[in-house]
Amino acid sequence: MITDIELKLIREALDFAKKSGAQKASATLSASSEDLVATLNGDIDRITRCQDRSLSLCLFVDGRFGSFSTNKLEMNALRDFILKAIETVRMLAEDPCRDLADPSRTCKTALKGDELGAVDPVRAGITPEMRRQAALDASVFSTPTPPEYKIVSEEGEYSDSIYEVALMDTNGLFCRQTETSFDYGVEITIEAGGEKYSGYAWDSWSHSGDLDSAACGRLALEKAVAQIGSEPAESGKYTMVIDRECASRAISPVLRALSGYQIQQNNSFLMDSIGRKIFPDGLTVLDDPHIRGNVCSKLFDSEGAATAPHAIIEGGVVKEYFINTFIGNKLGMVPTVEDPVRPHILPYPQEGLDRAAILKLCGDGILVTDFNGGNSNPATGDFSYGIEGFLFKDGRIVRPVSEMLVTGNFLTLWQGFKAAGSDARQCMSKLVPTLAFENVDFSG
Amino acid sequence: MNNLERFGLTEDQLRILVSEGLRSGGDWCDLYLEDTSYYDLMLRDGCVGTGGFHIDYGCGIRVLKGEKTGYAYAESTDYQELVSAARAAGAIASGSAGTAGGNSFRHFRSDSGTFTVKNHYPVEKDWREAEAKNFIPFLERLEKGIKSKDSRAEKVTAMLSYSISEVAMFNSFGELTCDRRPLGSLTVPIVFKQGGMIESRNVSRSLRMGVEMLTDEVLQDLIDRSVKGIDERFAARRPKGGQMPVVMAAGASGILLHEAMGHAFEADFNRKGQSIFTDKMGKRICGKGINILDDGTVPFSRGACNYDDEGIPGQKTYMVTDGVLTSYLHDRISAACYGVAPTGNGRRESFRYNPIPRMRATYMENGNDGTLDDLIGSVRKGIFVDQFANGEVKIGEGDFTFYVKSGWLIEKGRLTMPVKDINIIGNGPQALADIEAVAGDLKIDESTWTCGKEQSVAVSCGIPSVLIKNLTVGGE
Repeated sequence: MITDIELKLIREALDFAKKSGAQKASATLSASSEDLVATLNGDIDRITRCQDRSLSLCLFVDGRFGSFSTNKLEMNALRDFILKAIETVRMLAEDPCRDLADPSRTCKTALKGDELGAVDPVRAGITPEMRRQAALDASVFSTPTPPEYKIVSEEGEYSDSIYEVALMDTNGLFCRQTETSFDYGVEITIEAGGEKYSGYAWDSWSHSGDLDSAACGRLALEKAVAQIGSEPAESGKYTMVIDRECASRAISPVLRALSGYQIQQNNSFLMDSIGRKIFPDGLTVLDDPHIRGNVCSKLFDSEGAATAPHAIIEGGVVKEYFINTFIGNKLGMVPTVEDPVRPHILPYPQEGLDRAAILKLCGDGILVTDFNGGNSNPATGDFSYGIEGFLFKDGRIVRPVSEMLVTGNFLTLWQGFKAAGSDARQCMSKLVPTLAFENVDFSG
Repeated sequence: MNNLERFGLTEDQLRILVSEGLRSGGDWCDLYLEDTSYYDLMLRDGCVGTGGFHIDYGCGIRVLKGEKTGYAYAESTDYQELVSAARAAGAIASGSAGTAGGNSFRHFRSDSGTFTVKNHYPVEKDWREAEAKNFIPFLERLEKGIKSKDSRAEKVTAMLSYSISEVAMFNSFGELTCDRRPLGSLTVPIVFKQGGMIESRNVSRSLRMGVEMLTDEVLQDLIDRSVKGIDERFAARRPKGGQMPVVMAAGASGILLHEAMGHAFEADFNRKGQSIFTDKMGKRICGKGINILDDGTVPFSRGACNYDDEGIPGQKTYMVTDGVLTSYLHDRISAACYGVAPTGNGRRESFRYNPIPRMRATYMENGNDGTLDDLIGSVRKGIFVDQFANGEVKIGEGDFTFYVKSGWLIEKGRLTMPVKDINIIGNGPQALADIEAVAGDLKIDESTWTCGKEQSVAVSCGIPSVLIKNLTVGGE
């Protein structure tokens, strides 16, 4: 993908930037190739070939900073681009907080790009015919259906891709990462009793052998069928179980609130939380950035800082903000990494629970299987989301519910934390299992 | 305007590329050439210390065989690379793609050669000819104006982004269409602090204009909207949830039309039988007197299009006329499928994407049911909403939700308590049928609205104040 000639080009670009007035500079070259086959109702609908390549430059000139990008990568065009970029940076205000990542904390182990085993050589041999067959084989459109419903449409999308990124800076940083990805997603719409219901399922892996496209079609159809006859439940307080497919909605705002940028802007409901016990004992969130062979694993962040396994929240105590060099200098804090890479919620109260076991543990409540819109207030943690799912009693699903809202505050939500399963999907960027919370407000 | 020269290609070469694309049996081929320069500047913590620019250049080639699409692109306009992309896209029609023998469609001419298109976004001063340093005082005045108007504004970030896209489109009919698309956006996130309480707000203004958009009027508008109603935000609470009437303020509430109705009117969802409005063409879907349209001709609007991304001239499309569904929003594929003329809604994020039916500026025309005060005065208990965010819809079911950033509780026809951070949920067709009153105060909102249906596209929305008799409001 990224050739030696292109790596040489980046070095030349950095050298040229220094010769032209930049004291420091960093460059990120990214390249990707993707082939996609979309189906509609079991027939080929669209084929797409994508080839991308672009260079981003961060320039530090006379205490000033600017960031630039281009996909015109001929050296002559790049020289003009860099000269114009330096001229632009000189127009900006000085900012002493801007700097390259300190070499002592940058990654030195990502030299070939495949250190995390996320490249499947099989991709190089995939032919257009194989892609077409993979997409068609995944279709369940022709599956016989009972008279209660009919499949109105099935839209599937198979793709395989390779992505590579290389980082260099004028402090000697060099790291690169390559990963392949094999993906399938499908949305099925059914009609029953004059109403339409839809279900979506997807799968994504670095290695083609792990992809289970056929299961996606079956699952999407099951999801759509399960919603037949859904209606709101009575408004009130319920125990809420969130399916692993969408449970990241409960933790993502918490992780965003630990972002150094949000903290520096005083726009976080977790201000001054470092080292404090904000959450219940049962909540531990680890970052596992080096899981081999998995999509989203990373050895370095976007400024080249080395990632490492660590605790984000441990026994309810906040252990880390996500701080890059710039925000670290702004806050007077030691930089960590820019973002969590693969946050992982540990099982609670015991290992081995799946959705069924958690429903049984909770007894009665609402199982949320999808969120529909909504938002949260980053400063207060207040949230309100549309949901669909199921009412359950004595641990068993009773009927589907939709057109309902769940409303609350993330700090109080997590005080009602009751359970976390061991069933997180490994193909997701956040390893969030089925979760359960008590005393949650639902409106319908 | 002919901007082919900047792409280093001739019309003869474009013709040959179209032939290459059609070589395997496709019945339509078009090319989309793009050269975009994007610039940004950011004031944070009192100084404009971040800025840059970005170049995106390339050509997308699409081949159609009936309703089926082949698409490929090159990040250059090197002729050989484009030939290769044309052949890759053309494979949709080959036997190996399994689509040979598909039905061909009759495509409509865009009339771009003869149609006199009004320029909906003439530029007085091109952003590319100005230096970034000239814009720094504007951002500084913006921050100063906000802080001097409300000392609780603890953190003000002021961002200016601006771009010019030069595009050229060429198709099987030999039609060449060129456009120059400016877009300037000012976005201002603010964090207010009062005692131990924090409130954040985000105001923006986005127009298809050149440098001339940076006026004192725009500056003052952003300052005023930044601080307006912040006392109420600090005092706001969540109401008790449940079903109740909702009055929506003119302007940004138009996002309701975009999400809850507009997407379901996009012809691709209907062509595939997925929309709740499939098979509703010509039928009454809301009260008489209600007109809902999607308009590419609003001057300087973020949603304006001289041409869509298939070379079809920008136009006004009435989706609902006097309460009756009268048109879907079409790209070339759906228009050919339905046997109607395209409506100028074939849009895309960039040359990297094939065009699909997308909205432009979506709004409802004025009604005759009085003023906003009249609407509020008619509600015994309900919610008045003046700022929405994060709308989402399920196309098949028609269910939508919106996050209410700010509003008021209505009791006995009066605004009694500020509310915030709640969600409203409803069903598109039901909400349309439940519109009880439409005021005569249409406003098209000029905030930085971006639609995210598969690809990001700049849009705008608007609505007069409306009363919907029953929606579900989230609460304690």
